[in-house]
Amino acid sequence: MSIDSQTPIDEPEVPTNRPEPTHRMKEWLSRPYVRRILLIFVILNIVIVPIAWLVVHFMELSGGPASSIMVELEKTVFVFTIVSAPLMAITASILIYSLLGWGRVTGEEPPMQESPAIRTNGIAVVAWVSATSLLATFLVIWGLMELATITSYAYGSTPANQQPNATKAIDVNVTGQQWLWTFEYPDQGKIESDVLVVPINTPLYFNVTSKDVVHNFWIVELGVKIDANPGAITNTGVTPDKLGTFNIRCAELCGLHHAYMETKIEVVTQDQFDSWLREQGGKRTI
Amino acid sequence: MSLTAVIHEQPAVPQPRQHGKPGGFLHRANVFTGLIGGIGLAVITYAVGSKLVPWGTQDADFQQVGLNALIFATLSAWVIGFMIGIGAFAGPIRWMLGHDLTHEDAEYMAGKGQGHMKYWKYTTDHKVVGMQYLIMALVLFALGGFFAMLIRTELGVTWKEVFDPNFYNSLIGTHGIVMIIAMIIVVAGPLGNFIMPLMIGARDMAFPRLNALSFWLLFAAVPPLAANLLLGGIRDGWTVYQPLGTQAPIGMLGYQVCIITFAFSTGIAGVNLITTIVTMRARGMTWNRVPIFVIGTLAAAIMGLVWFPMFQYSQILAASDRIIDTSFFIPQGGGSVWLYENLFWLLGHPEVYVIVIPVTGALLELMTVFLRKPLFSYKMAIAGFAGVVGISAVVWVHHMYMTGFAPSAGYPFMLSTELISIPFGFLVLVMLGTIWRGKVWTRLPMMAVYAMIWCKIVGGITGVYLSDVPVDQYMHGSMFVVAHFHFMLMGAGLFGAMGAIVYWFPKMTGRMFDERIGSIGFWTAFFAFQLTFMSMFVAGLQGMPRRVLQFDNAFNISNWVSTIGAYLIGAGMLIFLYAMITSWRHGKPATSNPWGAKTLDWQTQTPVPLENFPILPVVTSDPYGYGVPDPYLKVEEELARDDNETVGAR
Repeated sequence: MSIDSQTPIDEPEVPTNRPEPTHRMKEWLSRPYVRRILLIFVILNIVIVPIAWLVVHFMELSGGPASSIMVELEKTVFVFTIVSAPLMAITASILIYSLLGWGRVTGEEPPMQESPAIRTNGIAVVAWVSATSLLATFLVIWGLMELATITSYAYGSTPANQQPNATKAIDVNVTGQQWLWTFEYPDQGKIESDVLVVPINTPLYFNVTSKDVVHNFWIVELGVKIDANPGAITNTGVTPDKLGTFNIRCAELCGLHHAYMETKIEVVTQDQFDSWLREQGGKRTI
Repeated sequence: MSLTAVIHEQPAVPQPRQHGKPGGFLHRANVFTGLIGGIGLAVITYAVGSKLVPWGTQDADFQQVGLNALIFATLSAWVIGFMIGIGAFAGPIRWMLGHDLTHEDAEYMAGKGQGHMKYWKYTTDHKVVGMQYLIMALVLFALGGFFAMLIRTELGVTWKEVFDPNFYNSLIGTHGIVMIIAMIIVVAGPLGNFIMPLMIGARDMAFPRLNALSFWLLFAAVPPLAANLLLGGIRDGWTVYQPLGTQAPIGMLGYQVCIITFAFSTGIAGVNLITTIVTMRARGMTWNRVPIFVIGTLAAAIMGLVWFPMFQYSQILAASDRIIDTSFFIPQGGGSVWLYENLFWLLGHPEVYVIVIPVTGALLELMTVFLRKPLFSYKMAIAGFAGVVGISAVVWVHHMYMTGFAPSAGYPFMLSTELISIPFGFLVLVMLGTIWRGKVWTRLPMMAVYAMIWCKIVGGITGVYLSDVPVDQYMHGSMFVVAHFHFMLMGAGLFGAMGAIVYWFPKMTGRMFDERIGSIGFWTAFFAFQLTFMSMFVAGLQGMPRRVLQFDNAFNISNWVSTIGAYLIGAGMLIFLYAMITSWRHGKPATSNPWGAKTLDWQTQTPVPLENFPILPVVTSDPYGYGVPDPYLKVEEELARDDNETVGAR
């Protein structure tokens, strides 16, 4: 156990009248390199934190968010970026400072100057481990809560058609096949469509399956994603709350024309939806 | 400390009788006889098999009945024939004939007196195997990199299809698996085989013949994989999800034979590395004195040994679905697509750590040298490795959050996946703590440390996004994932591996690496890498799915940027490769310890003699005594000369 036994102390011998921890903290913070690193850290934070808005901006470029699920997803991405920023900044500031501040050696021969032999530092280890553990715990708790939230937004604890407001919910049978999507409205006269037309503010409940290989049903701006598996039905749901046309893509490699396996979702008003249903020969929802 | 007794004279042990020339059959066997054997047996198998196959009839999947079995048999025959031809079975056969291995046989097999020919033979010397792995990794990187350029060309040319979809999909799959194999072997292969035994003060690996076997199995595994492009491609990505894989042309069998063979190779190499590290350390090298790179190699070998069989098994089942009409993964026959995905990702995720952990170990090792500082908190590094190895066993479902196979699995696996960031954080702490207050000797290997930490932080933070089920609900299957794992595997893995190879280049080749040209290539590739994959993050955030060859116009700009970046990476890598080749051929000759390092690998002479050390060293402390006057080790030879100067100190 004697990694440390032969280690010389790089600081002067610790006096017997050890100063108070707060005093040592003050002394440490007064060191020039600590101050400069903290300065770089603050500057980097100012640079990195705005990336959170940028990230959300990129996610919204195509017209989202169009559902409460997508709002939650964007919120999660935003929060994660904010809380990761200090970690990234502290790492980067130490890296940057080490190239500038503690001295550099060049040349072919191994440098003659040795650096201080810091074998370990209990305070640093405890601080780092607690900080990263707290961060990870926060992210886990946030993630678990968000997962519960979006799960309840998606279909709650019971399928949409068994919920009290079942009259309003619409079942959609989604079938993937190479390389197109088919949407069937079983309660609206079994009409079929290759464009998903849905009324706004109405819960949708998807029964997703595939005829051949694994596809992935992704409504980009609504934050819906679930695999379409052959021989199994997977379920998810969403309530669109923004009018417009959004993208449905296949997000699982499904063969030759995977890239072209995309269609649109049209979120329309209830009246438009009813007339669309009549055009298709289906029956009114309500 | 008292010196332990050194026995100079061993009592003579009666040697087994020498049958024929030392080496026997291996005199005639080399890679060319291997090629002849492999191609010969494959041709014979194909010729005989095609007489037995009922041509013309088709089964329900419109596959020709028997064709799959025939091709599978042919490709397997290549592997077996090659191994026969190169002499892999000479040892067991001699043993069965009652011809024991004599010392002269063993020396011949280790390449004694064979010049450069030993690199083309079934040579057991760990240094030869290490060099073979290095060349193999370079060849695979060149191949995979070329495929990457083709992929980016397709994605950069946004106005038309450059390649037909079958070829493009095969490209992404082949690029993926070639790069995965290359990354798995690039550190654990050359450095794990060449450097690790030196570092622990051993004369060779524990099982030298298995060492040769593991390399030549890898060699035999690659042609079937490359052949897939001629046999119709694999067109399913490197993951080859079923039942899509059953639709693919017979090129898929090339992939499956490759993986099955490669998994044998990895398992054998894993057993060998673990046994060597556990049993062959020099006297006095207690677990607290083991260099950290050795611990990293051990961690990777354990993960590879445990998890590769899952991958192998998934491919054996998938191959049997094609060959003998089982339906393990075909839902119409009662199979499960989710079973395949689980088996695949049981390896698929730990494999990332199999790649990243040895690189991290190598860089932790070398940064102490360039900072002239001891490793900060050795025990945290060990804890980090142990934590990653342990938790890596229970994170694979995060690749399957969106498959719907277990809607409640998201909760526990989100927990485990985010927990693995804590031991990973330990490793970052060790790196930052080692850098703290150190005077940096700004050489290329040290620069790779900076590059790696940066990529690891970006990859780690984006990994936290992806480990979160709600965020994954948006990101899964998008370009964001592609950018994330390239930051981990290429950014942290490959740039780190480049640094490690430059660091050990003098020991391996006897020549100094040309860092002037090498740095140009390295930094070009590094900054181009940021350009390529940062803009790929943007494409992913905008909602671009991965593995597509055409896409919405909204993604054009980020893809153009990515493609330009990718070409620059290619240019940078070529410059680096040029620096490597020229330094290898006529670089400045290296001294035995050009970096002034204290680990044992630098204490033996360069080029390393056949059995590494004239007399095995005895270790008296850990190798991180920089800034400390105390010696690291005492080589008994030096003591015998009554020379108190220690080898470790400069």
